[in-house]
Amino acid sequence: MTPTDGLALATRGLEKRYGPRVALAGLDLSVPTGVVYGFLGPNGAGKTTTMRLLTGLIHPDAGTIEILGQPFRRGDRRRLYQVGALIETPSFYPYLSGRENLRALAATGAHTSNRRVEELLELVGLRDRARDKVQGYSLGMKQRLGIAAALLSDPRLLLLDEPANGLDPAGIVAMRETLRHLASIGKTVFISSHVLGEVQQLADMVGIIAAGQLVREGQIDQLLEGEGVVRVRVAPDELESATRILHALAGDGAIAPVDGEEGWLSIRIEPGRAAEVNRALALAGVYASGLETGSDLESLFLALTAGAPSASHEGTFFGLAGSTKTDSTPAGPTNWLGGGGAA
Amino acid sequence: MRLFVATIRKLVRRPATFITFGLLVGLMALIFVAVGATARQQPSASAQEAALLLVTFPGAYAFIISFILGLGGLFGVIYGAAIAGSEWTWGTLKAAVARGESRSRYQLWSFGAIALMLGIGLLGAFLVGVLVAIVGASLAGVSTAGLGDSTSLGQLPELLARGWLGIVEEGALGFAIATVARSQLAGVGVGIAVYFAEQFVTFFLPDIVKFLPFNAASAVVAVSGSGFGDSGGTQFARLDPNAALIVVALWLIGALVLTSLFTERAEISG
Repeated sequence: MTPTDGLALATRGLEKRYGPRVALAGLDLSVPTGVVYGFLGPNGAGKTTTMRLLTGLIHPDAGTIEILGQPFRRGDRRRLYQVGALIETPSFYPYLSGRENLRALAATGAHTSNRRVEELLELVGLRDRARDKVQGYSLGMKQRLGIAAALLSDPRLLLLDEPANGLDPAGIVAMRETLRHLASIGKTVFISSHVLGEVQQLADMVGIIAAGQLVREGQIDQLLEGEGVVRVRVAPDELESATRILHALAGDGAIAPVDGEEGWLSIRIEPGRAAEVNRALALAGVYASGLETGSDLESLFLALTAGAPSASHEGTFFGLAGSTKTDSTPAGPTNWLGGGGAA
Repeated sequence: MRLFVATIRKLVRRPATFITFGLLVGLMALIFVAVGATARQQPSASAQEAALLLVTFPGAYAFIISFILGLGGLFGVIYGAAIAGSEWTWGTLKAAVARGESRSRYQLWSFGAIALMLGIGLLGAFLVGVLVAIVGASLAGVSTAGLGDSTSLGQLPELLARGWLGIVEEGALGFAIATVARSQLAGVGVGIAVYFAEQFVTFFLPDIVKFLPFNAASAVVAVSGSGFGDSGGTQFARLDPNAALIVVALWLIGALVLTSLFTERAEISG
């Protein structure tokens, strides 16, 4: 067993079954204190099951969980007083206002003052709509309220399931800044997400889960070392000579044609060497008509999870291989008030 | 205690609270006004006499309470089921548990708040019932001199307290059913089905039915000789009111224990 000292969150050999289906098959997570940790995995890999286990909504069949250095078992519910969570979709009483919902939730678990409720409504930019019924909120507004609810008890550990879901670009930027700020003051943020670009911008560490097991975990910079990709497009009749030239530059096994995209070659090389690639080709009389670079989490994610059957057999679009474009996050205002939109 | 107060605040704002209460008093008002308006037009003297009795005080007190416990029992089940079921359907129980709240504490305080609301509803419905009975009496041209009958008025606090226990037990039953069903819609549907199933069982198990929750709840206010709580037409022996009180308490405790145990053990995944 790996030691769990200094970790805000640790799981060891965590297992969970739903009938015959294995949702988690021995999950070992190690989340240090004061980081933003991105928890990634394809649909059905076990992310939400993990979130439910970490918040005591369900219980493991085997394995252990430690939260903030203390064991978290059945009956240790008070450990969650220092944890804030947004699991799946935000849950509110539709007939109550945003403020009333937060106050109702504040009456559960750790003691939370009304002043804290007002602070959070301000933080997430819902003060002006705090008296409106939640049933009239847009998805983004509900998500903001859900994040406010997760922050109610000023938690040391924040567990967020797809926090950017439904947020507009300004809201995403503001959320990112808020979460970075929380990490900077020593709180730990654990985010489950499908939006790899968002996680890459936000997280210090990532853990990638596939088929109920952790397949990679570490500092994001370290994980992405060697994950750089340069893609180049040449005329189809020059593919062979281009491949030969690039072999000399990047080494054996680093060059591969891009499936389904005629004339494109993928070179596993640091993105900063893209100009070198272009120059090498040009000096040999092969002129590139397209050049793309990427050093992204998406490549790593796909490399680690591609072909890994999801535990629930969810989420595979058969026959649509090769579509790997990542969402990008546009720049925008840096506060929560910039958008959100009324329903 | 803050959980109790918070739940009261939620229930006060909840449409189901007003809809349930409104339906109950609306139906009661309709019946009293219709009886008052048509009592004198009954074809036979005995039918006329029976209709007039419903709006004649102090006997009208009995009809009001038995009406509330009868139809109100159904509404109590629906109300309890609606509140408990929505906690699962909307995911609000999940949010509370994820904040470290005790599952059974949450459920029991929530039900405590429901019990208080049912008590307020019972009292409110009774007062509205008295008002519409007075309207019915004036429509029928019957004197309301019996309103101040000291014997009947003296019995009212105890009868209302017993009636409250009966309604609370019926609410607890709906609460437990919806908790086990983990759904508002399923909880309400099954609650209604159980209510009518019990009436149906009367034909097959007359010796057993008096111990079942709705019949026992009705029997807690059946004070012999006063006519309270006996709406007539029953085909089976009712429990003695004090025995009914014990049976009702057992059903109430059983429903709350079931709710607590189920919630504690449930895997909350919605």
